[in-house]
Amino acid sequence: MPIIELSDIYKTYRIGEVETRALDGVSLDFEPGEFSAVVGPSGSGKTTLLQIMGCLDKPDRGVVKLDGRDVTRLNADQRAELRRNVIGFIFQFFALIPVLDAYENVELPLLLAGVGARERRERTLEMLEAVGLSDRIHHRPNQLSGGQQQRVAIARALVKRPLVVLADEPTANLDTANGEQAMEIMQRLNEQTGTAFIFATHDPRVMKFARRTIHLVDGRVAENSAPPQVEAAAGGLFHPREHRG
Amino acid sequence: MTWTKLWMIAYRGLTRNRRRTFFTMLAVALGLALLITLNGYIAGVMEDGLQNSIRLQTGHVQVRAASYPEGKHSVQWKDLVERPEEVAARAMALPEVRAAAPILWLDAVLSTGDESIGLQVYGIDVASPLHDPLRASVIAGAFLDANDRSGVLMGGRLAQSLNLKVGDTVHLVTINANGEPVEAPFVIRGLFSSGVLVYDESVLFMPLARAQSFALTGNRASTVMIELHHREDAGKVAAGLAQPGLQALTWRDLNAFIIQSMDAAFSFYILMDAIVIMIVAVIIANTLLMAVFERVREIGILAALGMKRREILQMVLYEAALIALAGVVVGVALGLLGVFFLTQNGFVLGEMATTAGNLPMSNVIYARFAPDLFTWLAVWTFLIALLASLYPAWFAARLEPVRALHTE
Ligand SMILES: Nc1ncnc2c1ncn2[C@@H]1O[C@H](COP(=O)(O)OP(=O)(O)OP(=O)(O)O)[C@@H](O)[C@H]1O
Ligand SMILES: [Mg+2]
Repeated sequence: MPIIELSDIYKTYRIGEVETRALDGVSLDFEPGEFSAVVGPSGSGKTTLLQIMGCLDKPDRGVVKLDGRDVTRLNADQRAELRRNVIGFIFQFFALIPVLDAYENVELPLLLAGVGARERRERTLEMLEAVGLSDRIHHRPNQLSGGQQQRVAIARALVKRPLVVLADEPTANLDTANGEQAMEIMQRLNEQTGTAFIFATHDPRVMKFARRTIHLVDGRVAENSAPPQVEAAAGGLFHPREHRG
Repeated sequence: MTWTKLWMIAYRGLTRNRRRTFFTMLAVALGLALLITLNGYIAGVMEDGLQNSIRLQTGHVQVRAASYPEGKHSVQWKDLVERPEEVAARAMALPEVRAAAPILWLDAVLSTGDESIGLQVYGIDVASPLHDPLRASVIAGAFLDANDRSGVLMGGRLAQSLNLKVGDTVHLVTINANGEPVEAPFVIRGLFSSGVLVYDESVLFMPLARAQSFALTGNRASTVMIELHHREDAGKVAAGLAQPGLQALTWRDLNAFIIQSMDAAFSFYILMDAIVIMIVAVIIANTLLMAVFERVREIGILAALGMKRREILQMVLYEAALIALAGVVVGVALGLLGVFFLTQNGFVLGEMATTAGNLPMSNVIYARFAPDLFTWLAVWTFLIALLASLYPAWFAARLEPVRALHTE
């Protein structure tokens, strides 16, 4: 069963008189454990699509199913609950909390999810180790390089063991080496944990890593390489999470 | 999510924005410190007025003739206490009483060669410990002697304004018990300074026996004034001394006007307190709102990570509560320090003291610790600070995660 099912999604932004159709009838399925890129020119609707999948925004029309459950009719609290438990976000500008250090930023989703102190500590340290930042845990974002900040963001997205990680232009503010490193880390975590990754990007480096590429043009799916059959790898790091029914 | 976690996030937010936290806290602290100091001083002013009035004018309990008119001095026999020494002796027998003595009040006009001025004459039992404070306040010449037939004790300020000194002769005119004006010369034996300008400028003391013979009252007195060890015992003592034809009044009855105007003044000060608290509230609301504006992105991230509106609201309220609590603690400390300073170093009122109307104020006034009042102020400051944070908290909770994330 797909973890995300989009059927006939429409989204139009209105600023005064001006209407912009960001999504124009998008239907897509995403399978557990996949590692896919949504690509397309600027303004084609990639970010909008990710926000709708991530329960950050609602479509005007169409149905979004997350893990088999229609989320379009959920209220704000219920959507917050989903973001807290099953969706990880990675943003172009890292979106770390500036007043918290690396450790606390990664710990935050576990705090929100109500994980106990000991487990919180173990998982946070484990995750920081997985992104190679064990020696930077008490650095604040402004004391970290861009690449390191994005790795903190990756750790924060994965620490709660989400069903899917939605990453909007994760490499756009990184140089080639750091971009490659971030992608390698995410690829490894995808294989180890079975968490699905969906990227929005126009970075060829990201496309190179993706096992499936979805092309958006003017809010429509122009090309969709077939969803690959992914065997959720039972990794050494995490146990694959149980899906809610 | 449990409360402790929200507290933890709120607390971290505060400790990492030290400057902003500090200044908001300071606004609360300074506001409260100002309120406490001001109120401590006001409590001092009021208590000073009451204590002066009790010490110099009313005593704790007075026994008067039932018909003694209120607000003016009558020397008609029917309005006076007969055999006042007996009443005083009965009072002295009570364990609560420290001193008791008869006093005769006369309205009089004093004239020197070219000036005349209305004043009050107190005929006092010069041997009674009731007048120890007066004895101690003599600044020139000597205190009165019981057998002196022509000596008076005059306020230093009055003497100065009339250009009189110890040894000078003045003439007093009063209306005697028969309603006739009488005049007699008196010699200034000494000058006193009570520290209360209205007394120092308008009261003259003479031995009781001389006042009685001057106004033809026999051995009668206007009142028997009683000083207690503890003023709380006034009601009990008054009840014990009541007898037909006499009325026993407590300091509360005798200072009703002062207490009443203190209450009136108090409600004015409550208004003033409310205004200061409101100003503090506006500052808090403003700083917190600015803090929220500054953190639109941060709050958007928290919302994107799954923090619910209610939790964001609580988080901002917790931050406000922590700031307010710290502010209240520091404010109370600073305020008590301020009050303490003013209990040691009085505020010199000088001439202003005379303009205080019926409140016999000292010319130097010290602040006073008023724990009830201070607690009340601290609690209200805290509550209003929390109330003021409601709008910023509500504003933060309404931020959309999507919009918030777009801000880079
Ligand atoms: N909040 C908004 N208000 C109004 N219009 C918006 C808003 N967000 C996006 N749009 C418009 O919707 C369209 C799709 O935007 P979207 O951000 O999804 O594109 P994108 O593919 O992510 O572009 P980019 O590659 O530049 O990030 C664009 O035309 C954009 O101007
Ligand atoms: Mg975009």
